[in-house]
Amino acid sequence: MDAPTADELRVHPVVIAAFSAAWADSFPDDPALRHEEGGYIYQNPTTGEVVVRRALPGGLDFLDLSFPPTVAGAFLVATYHTHAIPPHGPIFAEPSSDDRELAAESGVPWFVVSHEGVFVTGPNRRVGGLRGPNGYPT
Amino acid sequence: MPATLTPPAVSSGDALKTAESDAAAFYGDLSRFRIEIGLEDDGWHIEYRIRQPEGSRFMTGGGPWYVIDATTGAILDKKYYQ
Repeated sequence: MDAPTADELRVHPVVIAAFSAAWADSFPDDPALRHEEGGYIYQNPTTGEVVVRRALPGGLDFLDLSFPPTVAGAFLVATYHTHAIPPHGPIFAEPSSDDRELAAESGVPWFVVSHEGVFVTGPNRRVGGLRGPNGYPT
Repeated sequence: MPATLTPPAVSSGDALKTAESDAAAFYGDLSRFRIEIGLEDDGWHIEYRIRQPEGSRFMTGGGPWYVIDATTGAILDKKYYQ
């Protein structure tokens, strides 16, 4: 079974809600509290259900997405994280070179949620379909 | 006969000092980055890349990127990433 594409995921209600929650929890408008949030997106190939799991909160400009938890019967199909930076500032909201390279290496799409909208980088869908390891396919 | 390469007026070390000064002022501690540097047609390209912590594969993040004039040492372009 093919994994969902990034375009299919980004309009899924569960994913939209996860993006909103992570963005709010990032405190993008508070210079003292702003930080990266994010997590993992899974799909169950039998039921089609999409679920998310949050990663531990990150720092001002980093988040560790190395440890996707196991979700019974489901496969990791994407990750997401915030770039909680103020608009019109000197920092670019788009995915960094590191984000782009790590996403390609991970084998799943990476969403970056920012004040400029949602960027996606990496493969268009989980590499190899909904089989193999439940976490990253690579 | 092989072409003779002319070394740039600004060395990689000098370009790096310029980048480091700017990067440290903006990012503070730079120890979490590794550095990639190369001489391109428009100058020295310097990029600060996230160093993955022990045991991690997918730590997000990003650092600054610079183009520094290889003749004058001036910063021609820069971008800050996170």
